[in-house]
Amino acid sequence: MSSASPSPAPTLDRRSFLKVSALAGGGLLVGTYFRFGSSTAMAQTLPAASGTFNPNVFISIAPSGAVTLIAPNSEMGQGAKTALPMIIAEELDVSWDKVTITQGDLNPAYGRQSAVGSGSTPGNYGPLRQAGATARAMLIEAAAQTWNVPARDCTTENGTVIHQASGRRLTYGELAAKAATLPVPTDVALKDPKDFKLLGTRVPGVDNEKIVTGQALYGIDQRLPGMVYAAYVKCPVFGGKAGDANLDEVKKLPGVLDAFVLNGITGLTSGVAVVADSTWHAFKAAEKLKVQWDQGPGVTQSSVDMAKQAESLGKAAPAPALPSGVKAVEAAYHYPFLAHATLEPQNCTALFKGGVMEMWCPSQVPGSGQRLVTQGLGLAAHDVVVHVTRLGGGFGRRGSNEFSLEVATIAKKMEGTPVKLTWSREHDFAHDNYRSNGWHFLQGGVDGAGQLVALHDSFVKMTGGPGDMAGGGFPFNAVPGSQVQSSKLTGSVPTGYWRAPGDNGNTWATQSFVDELAHAAGRDPLDFTLGLLAAVPGADSPGGPAGGRGGRGGGFAPPKMVTVLKLATEKAGWGKKLPRGQGQGLAVTHTNNAYVAIVADVTVSPQGVLKIQKLTAAVDAGQIINLSSAEAQVQGAMLDGLSAAWFQKITIEGGAAAQANFNDYPVLRMENSPPAVEVHFIKSLAPPTGLGEPGLPAAAPAVCNAIFAATGKRIRTLPFTDTDLKWA
Amino acid sequence: MSNLNLNVNGTVHSVDVTDDTPLLWVLRDTLGLIGTKYGCGIGECGACTVLRNGVAVKSCRLPLKSVGTAKITTIEGLATSGKLTAVQQAWCKLDVAQCGYCQGGQILCATALLTATPKPTDQDIDEAMSGNFCRCATYTRVRQAIHAAAGSTPAISP
Repeated sequence: MSSASPSPAPTLDRRSFLKVSALAGGGLLVGTYFRFGSSTAMAQTLPAASGTFNPNVFISIAPSGAVTLIAPNSEMGQGAKTALPMIIAEELDVSWDKVTITQGDLNPAYGRQSAVGSGSTPGNYGPLRQAGATARAMLIEAAAQTWNVPARDCTTENGTVIHQASGRRLTYGELAAKAATLPVPTDVALKDPKDFKLLGTRVPGVDNEKIVTGQALYGIDQRLPGMVYAAYVKCPVFGGKAGDANLDEVKKLPGVLDAFVLNGITGLTSGVAVVADSTWHAFKAAEKLKVQWDQGPGVTQSSVDMAKQAESLGKAAPAPALPSGVKAVEAAYHYPFLAHATLEPQNCTALFKGGVMEMWCPSQVPGSGQRLVTQGLGLAAHDVVVHVTRLGGGFGRRGSNEFSLEVATIAKKMEGTPVKLTWSREHDFAHDNYRSNGWHFLQGGVDGAGQLVALHDSFVKMTGGPGDMAGGGFPFNAVPGSQVQSSKLTGSVPTGYWRAPGDNGNTWATQSFVDELAHAAGRDPLDFTLGLLAAVPGADSPGGPAGGRGGRGGGFAPPKMVTVLKLATEKAGWGKKLPRGQGQGLAVTHTNNAYVAIVADVTVSPQGVLKIQKLTAAVDAGQIINLSSAEAQVQGAMLDGLSAAWFQKITIEGGAAAQANFNDYPVLRMENSPPAVEVHFIKSLAPPTGLGEPGLPAAAPAVCNAIFAATGKRIRTLPFTDTDLKWA
Repeated sequence: MSNLNLNVNGTVHSVDVTDDTPLLWVLRDTLGLIGTKYGCGIGECGACTVLRNGVAVKSCRLPLKSVGTAKITTIEGLATSGKLTAVQQAWCKLDVAQCGYCQGGQILCATALLTATPKPTDQDIDEAMSGNFCRCATYTRVRQAIHAAAGSTPAISP
């Protein structure tokens, strides 16, 4: 990352910005944050020395042959810092081991920099292929002019242009200076995906060596000369405001430099800031704060009351009466609030100097953090320079950026002094944007032939935030006349995006209920699910999107779901006769355009101790970019889904979160992790989907369905630990 | 305030901090050794793991004065002369890390395990690693990497 020490003014040629604008067909370039003049703050840029070829903002090729590529999106473990430059390198045709990757700071010239919705890869795939292919075409043109031959007679290989007929070769480094003088073509040919050499292979993460040696990478690791350490304490009751506080007393505590109340700033939740000479002193002093909180009306909220309200709202929308001869199956499912609990707590570092706010932000959406700061503090966008750090976990939490405005507000008061704000773990649990709770009151109708002929869901969740049910999604789109009715609870509990929003809870409820319906129909769950998929409109159009949604992600192609379901069940050996206490379960999801089927193999001891023995996933995510991280994402997402479903809940008491740390919000550990976790990808040349989220939603229902097969016990409330699984 | 000598990664540092300061914050804020991470502050997560005379301990609740003359090794001190240890190499090769925030602690814990038990079974790994959780749930590869570093045959995916 850049430091705050004085740096020479950037020499990046403004012409290159005009080039990228042309490259992207306009609209991509709306400005630049690179400051010129007296400010010492500036965004990370590519090397731009004389003779260097910078065909666009993503690529720099030096005369030495050194290739530097920008990773435009923040890295939180999803692999974007490796995968996105791989896309450029594939089209540019350079050896991966010769490439250096630089994390891009916030800069509109980079295009889509938000790392949410499993969108980094699909959102950047086209533009980054274009960026690489354009540079390659210019290098070929430079060689063709040098040799006075037609460009079409030249080809490339690992960073070298080759004239096939004569065997002449020039490296990209040798061609850089000449290529830099050429006009940028607008219509370059992209590779045929079947010719990809790098995409689809296993490439280790570009920061692996730094991670295993403890190098500074994360927001919380930022250190600047003269830096001070801040804590910011907000009312535990959601919507509460800070009044007077024992500031004089707190200012006398060891290491405390300042303490002040912050109120009335647009977008900032009011609270009390403590600034100290170390994180420890800031935390200790924050614990000694006594604040007169105006708790507001939110103080009466509780999870117990919400459950009562949800039941009355949910049952106010009953299912229509079923025809005679149709068996009714009814079930109520409930999932709780969840915290994101990124292992790196929320934090941010800022320095306000010379009218410029320079920030180091661990953010999934750095642009929205910048907007919060400009709006809250009345600064112009070009006066808020945002460096993007590595993120110690995201899971959707770092799509909201309140920590940016908190630290910027403190830093503005402490002009000239760098400030690092760190949330304590307790504060992080108390002030999350939680995954909404949810209730599903489901009714299905099974006829005498074992067919599902009616399906009704009355769904209740908190108002605001994501997670609404897609009425047209699977399995509702398989049943003519099916209905989803939605009702909302009101309150001030903040809810937000949590890995695979909506699907992370709703898929558990609906895929568990499909299993219930299969058993009620006396049919094998695989056979039953295949039957439902065959009934979805468009089921016979291979690969083409059918109407409706199969979860978050637009068009739903039933044949693709059939393919992953058949593959997962084949690999898992579906249909084994198992003794009591052992079971298999399956579930499917269509999330962020990817198709995922999961089979779980579990054992449950007579005393009710659950052990997940194996997870087998089959995934159609289109073209795989980096096989290593793709596999890791699906493995991790499945286990993350199980960690939440097995152990975790946030309960609201007195308008505040009742859980404060990991001792009462357990995380899945090594001993609970299945000994075998298999991921099988469908080979595909279709454009890639993202993979940060799709692996998550079907894991919990697959395990619950396996638990039912093993014990006859149906889990209808999360977490699993709320259900006694003892069966003998 | 106390002035104490602290032996970290083979260097003795003289530090002057308030008595209750845990080792974690001295490493991070005073010595600038930021590879040791803050995760929970209550010894639940393991992100703050360091080696004390070769044994894995959590530094977030370890008051400085209880460290005494013990030799502390942080993740920065594991590789000597720039050469990664077998555990670090296995972590890189098997591409274990996702966000990576817990991995320094995981690696130190695995190092202590392999020092005491050169050829651990899966059950040994479960027991030794249970104090270090990974929010990205990289357990499948953590297990593979420990076996690989131990010289056992790891179950690496094709």
